[in-house]
Amino acid sequence: MSSRESCRNELRTAIRQLSDRCLYSASKWAAEQLVGIDQDPAKFTPSNTRFQRGSSSIRRRFRTNDITSTPPAGVSYVSTPVMEEDEVVDNDFYLLAKSYFDCREYRRAAHVLRDQTGKKATFLRCYALYLAGEKRKEEEMIELEGPLGKSDTVNREVASLERELSILRKNGTIDPFGLYLYGLVLKEKGNQNLARTVLTESVNSYPWNWSAWSELQSMCTTVEILNGLTLSNHWMKDFFLASAYQELRMHNESLTRYEYLQSTFSFSNYIQAQIAKAQYCLREFEQVEVIFEELLRNDPYRVEDVDMYSNVLYAKECFSALSYLAHRVFMTDKYRPESCCIIGNYYSLKGQHEKSVVYFRRALKLNKNYLSAWTLMGHEYVEMKNTPAAIDAYRRAVDINPRDYRAWYGLGQAYEMMGMPFYALHYFKKSVFLQSNDSRLWIAMAQCYETDQLHMLEEAIKCYRRAASCNDREAIALHQLAKLHAELGRSEEAALYYKKDLERMEAEEREGPNMVEALLFLAQHCREQKRFEEAEVYCTRLLDYTGPEKETAKSMLRGMRTSESSFPLMDIEHFHP
Amino acid sequence: MKEEQIEKLRGVVRDCVSKHLYSSAIFFADKVAAFTNDPADIYMQAQALFLGRHYRRAFHLLNASKIVLRDLRFRYLAAKCLEELKEWDQCLSMLGDAKVDEHGNVYDTKDCNVMYLDKDGEDREINISSAICFLRGRAYEALENRAQARQWYKAAIKADPLCYEALECLIENHMLTCEEETSLLSSLQFGPDDGWLSSFYSCLIKKYDKESIIEAKFRELETESCNGNSMSTSFMHTLKNDTDLLACKAEYYHQCGEYQKCFEQTSILLEKDPFHLKCTLVHLAAAMELGNSNELYLMACNLVKDYPQKALSWFAVGCYYYCIKKYDQSRRYFSKATSLDGTFASAWIGYGNAYAAQEEGDQAMSAYRTAARLFPGCHLPTLYIGMEYMRTHSYKLAEQFFMQAKTICPSDPLVYNELGVVAYNMKEYNKAVLWFEKTLAHIPSLSPLWEPTVVNLAHAYRKLKMYHEAISCYERALTLSTRSLSTYAGLAYTYHLQDNFTAAITYYHKALWLKPDDQFCTEMLSLAIVDEGRSGIDPKMEFR
Repeated sequence: MSSRESCRNELRTAIRQLSDRCLYSASKWAAEQLVGIDQDPAKFTPSNTRFQRGSSSIRRRFRTNDITSTPPAGVSYVSTPVMEEDEVVDNDFYLLAKSYFDCREYRRAAHVLRDQTGKKATFLRCYALYLAGEKRKEEEMIELEGPLGKSDTVNREVASLERELSILRKNGTIDPFGLYLYGLVLKEKGNQNLARTVLTESVNSYPWNWSAWSELQSMCTTVEILNGLTLSNHWMKDFFLASAYQELRMHNESLTRYEYLQSTFSFSNYIQAQIAKAQYCLREFEQVEVIFEELLRNDPYRVEDVDMYSNVLYAKECFSALSYLAHRVFMTDKYRPESCCIIGNYYSLKGQHEKSVVYFRRALKLNKNYLSAWTLMGHEYVEMKNTPAAIDAYRRAVDINPRDYRAWYGLGQAYEMMGMPFYALHYFKKSVFLQSNDSRLWIAMAQCYETDQLHMLEEAIKCYRRAASCNDREAIALHQLAKLHAELGRSEEAALYYKKDLERMEAEEREGPNMVEALLFLAQHCREQKRFEEAEVYCTRLLDYTGPEKETAKSMLRGMRTSESSFPLMDIEHFHP
Repeated sequence: MKEEQIEKLRGVVRDCVSKHLYSSAIFFADKVAAFTNDPADIYMQAQALFLGRHYRRAFHLLNASKIVLRDLRFRYLAAKCLEELKEWDQCLSMLGDAKVDEHGNVYDTKDCNVMYLDKDGEDREINISSAICFLRGRAYEALENRAQARQWYKAAIKADPLCYEALECLIENHMLTCEEETSLLSSLQFGPDDGWLSSFYSCLIKKYDKESIIEAKFRELETESCNGNSMSTSFMHTLKNDTDLLACKAEYYHQCGEYQKCFEQTSILLEKDPFHLKCTLVHLAAAMELGNSNELYLMACNLVKDYPQKALSWFAVGCYYYCIKKYDQSRRYFSKATSLDGTFASAWIGYGNAYAAQEEGDQAMSAYRTAARLFPGCHLPTLYIGMEYMRTHSYKLAEQFFMQAKTICPSDPLVYNELGVVAYNMKEYNKAVLWFEKTLAHIPSLSPLWEPTVVNLAHAYRKLKMYHEAISCYERALTLSTRSLSTYAGLAYTYHLQDNFTAAITYYHKALWLKPDDQFCTEMLSLAIVDEGRSGIDPKMEFR
């Protein structure tokens, strides 16, 4: 990786250029990374020591492998020269336009720049128009919204912007920022292929615009697409790849990237939060908790990504910690979608689902495309047995991101509750396609196949087999496999699975009706196979339980003993007293 | 009185005319005529009377002077008076009988005894016979003999290409078809210095040619400059900013479906020349396409205030109501516009459209039929009649009308699209594909405006079981617009027919997202989901 000093210089210039163009969030991101760069030990100043102390504990605890400074794939980095500005001093109109823009008077800003021809001015004019259109779109959505905020308003500026920007691109008089905007416009219009090409051009010529990278990432829905991109090597590409891998559920690849990046950006809160996100997806809740505690100590007023922390606390049912977190974000900024989501989680954990829905709704009012709020709201509606509303919410979630397996699973569950197994099956299939190592999903699918409407037991068996091969925590799959095989008259297979299930139950020291069932079947099976000794063992174990099975076992034992004495064997039932 | 005194008085009369002091002009011209009794002075007196709106008196003066029948100018002025008095038959007989053939060639004329008395504009004057032909055209048009009127207008412009009014009448009233317009233009004999005029005229006529040809025409005109007589660069004025040319260009944008561009152009133009009527019409049309009802309201109010007697003003009011979907009121104002000016094509079509929007086919048709009768050169009424027939499933009749529209204007892609739709509805899918492909070949550039054609083509391919072609067409349509139910439903159904249930389900869902109560998609979705469930697990996924 290029040296820290050069990273710092690149970022410093980039921040100026980005904020000059009113690309606020990209400039914020760049500034965060700038501060996150490891200080050279020679230049320590007392003010930096807080960070140093804060992070070291984490690294001691979780750094398993020492990070070396060789890049993962042995690539060499080309350093893109920092872009030259077309004019060093902005002209007066640009200054006026930027001031209007800063006051969110977009159309006015665009009007001021109407006759300016510089690339920078053109970009700001187009960007202002785009945002004006977005603003109007949001307003219209609120004015005209149908059920669950659905409406078909569009950004009216998009068509004319597309025309203008495509001409600029054809003439070659477009700068990377213009390309970024063009990518946004194309994405809005649904032309994803061209949007990807354009955004790739943008990030290749100006890699420090994180917004462009994240737009590009949002359109890389498969690994094939990601690998098909031709990106020039720059350290920003590592940030991109890490985030893209994470979205594609390649968490380990993503984690290695982030850990590698941490060798330079060791104090970057962003990277820490992303690592937490990956760990969260790997269901390593303990680690997530530690990272977030650390993060909130360093950056106490942070709201971004903290909702994930609240999910962890929810899953672990940490009432007090979640309550503390909820109150804290409430004080920091009550009207942030993340804050509302955290408060929603808090109420949900307390079992107050109506209140929780209110907060999720508020989160969605603040940001219509807030994925996890839609999914969580769906869960709440399921809890409240309001399936139509749940379906709507989940559907919004998958519409925003079709890779959210939780929402697909939720949809399946909702349809299952409505007694529509065919629909449920479709959605479970979708979710299993995205998360094929989750036994719950396979079991849900199998249950659909088992319903009376479908009754496709062979398919159900296949699903259970998959579930059993994944980590089936609730141990449903083995039992069901045994039962199904027994039902289909394949006693050999059934016995095999009952035995496996039994072994597992023994290992985990679980008792219950499943145990009795397994023992009874195995006893009968062994007797039929004339393995009387084995059968006797199972029957004897059955005697420890109460209920009708005990009696059956007793009579079986009796039968077997008589038949053993009166050779040759006759059908026991005939001799039954 | 001395000769020079009389000459001075004549000068006074001319000056009074040019200063619009008509009563003084009449007074002095009367005195001059009384002194000299010269036909030229009598002509001058009649001219002054005409300008002072004393038509009857002027006519009487000319008639009484005996010379009237011998001199073309006298006759022309007398006829002009009769025109103002709306005595059309007399006007025609005053102009003398002559015949004109289909191509506007005059024959059988008895005007051999040409005699000029007024030699004012000798160096560059419009041929008097051209003016006479034009006036005959006006008279026939007023008498509702449109065929004769058209021929006389043609004759007028043929007699002198500088007689712009005749061409304007022919174009504005859609009297000629595309081909006729071009052949007329090519038959005109321009003077050696009037090359620019020829290209200008070619921009004015119907613009259904290929984009490149049209734009070349415009470019040619824009670079045309007056550098003939002077080498200095400071004198390089071009026609680039001429309002008529810009209005023409706006009209062209409107026709290409570039409504935003058109609107911008007309807005600039109207700022420069707020009362440019042709431009106003294009501006209204563009504003209507863009749904800019606010602009329409302001325009309509201003027009009605400034020109309450113009059909255009009330047409604007109708447009406003049409735009806000109040069809009843809109119809009322369109009809008011047509009653003020029976030859206002746009108002007739708007009148029909307002009926059609409320699905009142019969009334709409009768409006379109009137328009088709009045404007034989405009294919739109015929096209709309066809569309109405199609809506009532009379495909044979619809096809006939579309074919008729095609002969009037063979280069409008919309006609081919409609022909394709008819063929599709008559289950002649091969033919439909041909028509749709022809449509796409005729459009200047693939814009969202033509998304339906792409979808139609895809439907036709699907019907022909050419699923791959169909899918690629649907996908092309999706790059143009992502908000069309029919595209998603068609795409889903195609995948369904290919037994690709998962893709089918995805697209049925997208379609239902746009319109949740669509019956076809709901039913097909259930079928697809059951089929998918029945087909079991995809082996690829199971052993991943």
